[in-house]
Amino acid sequence: MHALRYCLVEAIRSLMRAPGATALSMLTSAVATLVLGGFLLVSVNLERVFVLWSGTAEMSVYLADDITPEQRVALNQVLAASPVVASRTFVSKADALARFVRSFPDLSTGLEDGPDNPLPASIELQLRPQGDDGRSIESLTRELRQTAGVADVRYDRQWLSRLATILSGVRWAGWGLGAVLLCAAVLTVSTIVRLALHARRDEVEIMQLMGAPIGLLRGPLVVEGILHGGGGALVSLALLYALYLVARAAAGPVLATVIDPALTTFLPAGLAGGLVGGGAAVGLVGGWMAARHVR
Amino acid sequence: MYGRGIYALRDVTVKIDKGEFVFLTGASGAGKSTFLRLLLRQEVPTEGLVRVGGRDLARLTLRQVQTYRRTVGFVFQDFKLIPERTVLDNVSLVPRALGETSVQQQRRTYQVLKWVGLQHRMNAYPIELSGGEQQRIAIARALVNEPALVLADEPTGNLDPDLSLEIMNLFRDINARGTTVVVATHDRELISHVARRTLTLDHGRVVDSK
Repeated sequence: MHALRYCLVEAIRSLMRAPGATALSMLTSAVATLVLGGFLLVSVNLERVFVLWSGTAEMSVYLADDITPEQRVALNQVLAASPVVASRTFVSKADALARFVRSFPDLSTGLEDGPDNPLPASIELQLRPQGDDGRSIESLTRELRQTAGVADVRYDRQWLSRLATILSGVRWAGWGLGAVLLCAAVLTVSTIVRLALHARRDEVEIMQLMGAPIGLLRGPLVVEGILHGGGGALVSLALLYALYLVARAAAGPVLATVIDPALTTFLPAGLAGGLVGGGAAVGLVGGWMAARHVR
Repeated sequence: MYGRGIYALRDVTVKIDKGEFVFLTGASGAGKSTFLRLLLRQEVPTEGLVRVGGRDLARLTLRQVQTYRRTVGFVFQDFKLIPERTVLDNVSLVPRALGETSVQQQRRTYQVLKWVGLQHRMNAYPIELSGGEQQRIAIARALVNEPALVLADEPTGNLDPDLSLEIMNLFRDINARGTTVVVATHDRELISHVARRTLTLDHGRVVDSK
């Protein structure tokens, strides 16, 4: 406990000794976490839109005319076991015809009186949002197409898949760019902490010669790195929130054509905490890289 | 040996008894500082053995080196005080890092500052002190761990003759308390004034011991 307090006090003292360098280092960390946080924010909101729209999606499973009772039972078992299916409604051939006649009275002349009803029976599925970019829906579609007694499966929300692809692309771009910037932040923090170490070289040398434990020589440098990284991340989080509010207000009318602006959200607490923790971790790595020079 | 046949110290066999006061003298480059660095375990010999208190310094682990150094006080020619820290902070640098409470630190620092006669300058910064005062603070810092061995590398090199004598008297007092003292200096006048055992080094060899 004492060692921790000592490291913290010395780290803060070092930060205050060189405010310009401290600001530069925090700024670099802040930019890195701001970019990463920005991508996360866009990703989180796109995901919300995806989940919202996925929730309204339906799937139709058309049954073969010659489906056997055993095949019907097997199909129902598949549907009952799927977490994607929220509810299902059976539409018989007669119901399908009646619905068609109701919807398209001009086209249905003669159909009702004919000997054979050409419309297949079907099961309409209401889907439950999964938040996995539509992968589970695709998986269910594939499974149903291979199930005996199923003539066809229609899921006319291909655009949801495209949205899922975009969502995935945004995420990867964010991680990629974020990783590059975080590496830059690690190097900056490391350099700044090494500069601080250089400024304190006499002190460190004296402490080494007087037998101070290596942990107490390195500890303040690591803590200093954590403060650089964590502080930068906190600054970026505040900045990101301000940008989010401004963007939401500015893009309100455009946004309203796609989604209710009230449904947009800032980063959830877990992600925001993770971002600050990540910034601190970046600082820890940078600080440790600098601290290794104390031997 | 510094490689390619260049020796900092060669064929040196010296025994310093507990409680002894020894001067190391010789021209620049004679090996005085290397001798001290070996005793402080800043360096290990490429050949031979350095034993302090029966311990072979080359065989100490990092942790043991740290523990060993807490039993040794070191005084530099250029004082090496931290300019942005007060006298109190400079002297209590390591006790504070090692977790001594504030009261313990202050008591020990006060005692040692009183011993060097500068207890009234506890809250001053090094820049506010004269050269002699700065060196006395550096000596206080070396003594704060109550070391068994005090090493000093040209401790009077930056001081005028009167102050040099004053500092040397301090070392004599330290020695009188039972602490082993090894002082490297090229000031022969000072050596003759203090009149203690003197090892003369030349090109890394002990050429005289009296």
